Amino acid sequence: MSAGLRYDAVSVGYDSAVVTDATFEVRPGEIVGLIGPNGAGKTTLVRAVTGGARVFGGSVTVGDRAVHAYSRLELARLVGVLPQTSPTSFAFTAKQFVEMGRHAHVSRFGDLGPLDHAAVDRALALTDTASLAHRRVDELSGGDLQRLTLAQALAQEPSVLLLDEPTSHLDLNHRLQVLDVVRSLADGGLAVLAVFHDLDMAARYSDRLVVVSGGGVRAQGTPEQVLTRETLAGVFGVAAVIGTDPVTGSVQVLPVVRSQGTGVASRGVRVHVVSGSGTGAAIMRRLVLDGFEVSVGALSSVDTDGAVAGALGLPMREIAPYAAMSVEDESSTRALAAVADVVVAVATPYGPENLGNLRAITGRAASTVLVGTMTPDMDFSRGEATALWNALSDAGARTCADPRDLVRTIEEVHAS
Amino acid sequence: MGRTGTRRAAFVLLLLGGVLVAACVAGASFGAVPVSAADVFGALKGALTGASLTPSQALVMDLRLPRVVLAALVGACLAAAGVLYQALFRNALADPYILGVSSGAGLGAALAFAAGGTGAAALWAPPLAAFAGALATILLVAALATRRGVMETLSLLLAGVAVSYTLAAMTSFVLVLRREQMSRIVFWMMGGLQGATWQQVWIVAGMLVVGLAVPLVYARELNIMLLGDERAGELGVNVERVKRIILAAASLVVSAAVSVSGLIGFVGLMTPHAARIVLGPDHRLLLPASVICGAIVMVLADLVARVVLAPVELPVGIITALAGGPVFVWLLIRSNRGAAL
Repeated sequence: MSAGLRYDAVSVGYDSAVVTDATFEVRPGEIVGLIGPNGAGKTTLVRAVTGGARVFGGSVTVGDRAVHAYSRLELARLVGVLPQTSPTSFAFTAKQFVEMGRHAHVSRFGDLGPLDHAAVDRALALTDTASLAHRRVDELSGGDLQRLTLAQALAQEPSVLLLDEPTSHLDLNHRLQVLDVVRSLADGGLAVLAVFHDLDMAARYSDRLVVVSGGGVRAQGTPEQVLTRETLAGVFGVAAVIGTDPVTGSVQVLPVVRSQGTGVASRGVRVHVVSGSGTGAAIMRRLVLDGFEVSVGALSSVDTDGAVAGALGLPMREIAPYAAMSVEDESSTRALAAVADVVVAVATPYGPENLGNLRAITGRAASTVLVGTMTPDMDFSRGEATALWNALSDAGARTCADPRDLVRTIEEVHAS
Repeated sequence: MGRTGTRRAAFVLLLLGGVLVAACVAGASFGAVPVSAADVFGALKGALTGASLTPSQALVMDLRLPRVVLAALVGACLAAAGVLYQALFRNALADPYILGVSSGAGLGAALAFAAGGTGAAALWAPPLAAFAGALATILLVAALATRRGVMETLSLLLAGVAVSYTLAAMTSFVLVLRREQMSRIVFWMMGGLQGATWQQVWIVAGMLVVGLAVPLVYARELNIMLLGDERAGELGVNVERVKRIILAAASLVVSAAVSVSGLIGFVGLMTPHAARIVLGPDHRLLLPASVICGAIVMVLADLVARVVLAPVELPVGIITALAGGPVFVWLLIRSNRGAAL
């Protein structure tokens, strides 16, 4: 039997409601990821299904009935839960532990039958825990216990599976293994609601995401619709680069800095950064965290530095990718650099599409810091970039060989 | 339990049963007047067939056997209660004596004794009053020990001690009010099995059967509840109902034991724990095995109480406390290091 899970205007909590008016659905065959900051009520929403949290309003429905209309045994045949595991002192063997998942299927005076044993063996195999079957549960690692708890839930042969941070204790290998198993079970008709901490994993395995924050559901939709720069800033308070996982093509989140409450006092010093191809990303981040006002450019949005500057919201001349800089691009970049107290130029490949960035800072060697060394293999401008670089250096621009000294060098240049 | 598990369980229980029979025969043989094992069996045979008994066989039937069987039943009751409380509170230190339940049952029984009465009332009032006292006490202690839904070991022990002292004071108050009954009640309270009768044996046996059969039906739930209440609920256990049933069953067996033999400590603590170390945590085996172990321990303790200072008899509670106190301390140290239940 396949049954879905539905939240209709649900208000749920403990002494008082933690989440109010939550409406979303998990259909058979679908993985829905719950994401949101700590304490937003993701776990509370999950616990509303099995009675671990109090429902104040609205209804939680499994199949065609509200959850409170089922007996404990009926519900355990429909809904399996993988809770956040805690260390257990429990001297049963792993197999006995998983067999407890069959409780709802076994009669009061009976014992496990062939069907039950088959379900237990299947659950052990799916979670790759058959080799642990005769070990004592209290002697196992957190990761083993987490997979066994999943096996216990799978032994229930549920229609709805609730996972609360299913991979929190797992190493990389088992993380993929567990989520791949859950994905294939979902493809076979299971409805899965999973709390995720790892946004990349959430994007990779979920069909849809539900964002829980500030006491309610803030957004829901496909990972591409939900995981935007705006959502991450608004919900998690993080400036992030939204990219594409090169392996799976799913959305990937690269957090850059906390966007709220960094507690950094502005120094009132403006720094213009000339870089590209990711050579300036760490520098921009460092300078922002140190309280400098940073401008960059010119860069395209497909350039790593451009994406990071965009996530940080830095003033930037944005240019078309893979095209030579126009005269307007160059003059507008010159204007950005002109209002900066200090210019930081990073050694990176220079060619027609970014040579204008170096030209835009000529003539102000005294307030310029050069990072790294221009080598011939970086010059795609027939020597012009090297000439500009050397001219700055000869005219007294400071060179900073070690990026760790950059902030001190900028301070010295600004003071002089 | 798989097939091998079932076979192992049957073997363990048969073995323990054999040891219990041997202990009972020994208990019936030793005493101020030694009786041979042959006479013990002869007395049993005579009683069953209605044949006339020799004087020493009559001694066995009228004095020794009821006492030995009652000791076995009391030990069984206390061990059963220990297993059930330990499962319910997920705490290896739970025992009817430490939780104050014995004192609660004791106050109930003391009130019944003090009220006097004759005939059926004198026979049934103490166990029933003890049951009421035991049930009320465990509910009170559990409520006192629970903070925001969590029951800490320390709070449980402290609540048990506090309630136990209060109830003991109230029992003393009852004694002072009924001075003419005092020596009888005091001797009963110290935990002795003198003057055991077959009538008492049947009453305690009946309460034990009920208090054991019901939890055995819920043995699988007891296993699952070791995972915690919420997880047990997720796996389909109606936790609140099982708890109520188990608390009632445990209180029933405690009150059966207390009403005939007063306050006997530590049997409910030691025997389930020893059984768990050897046999593992599965209640389908642990409960019956602990019960038989409890019976064996009690029969032997009573034997020691009778012979160590013969002809003077020690209250058996002294023997169990002397043996059990150090075990309790050892468990306490071990549990502080986070050992498994």
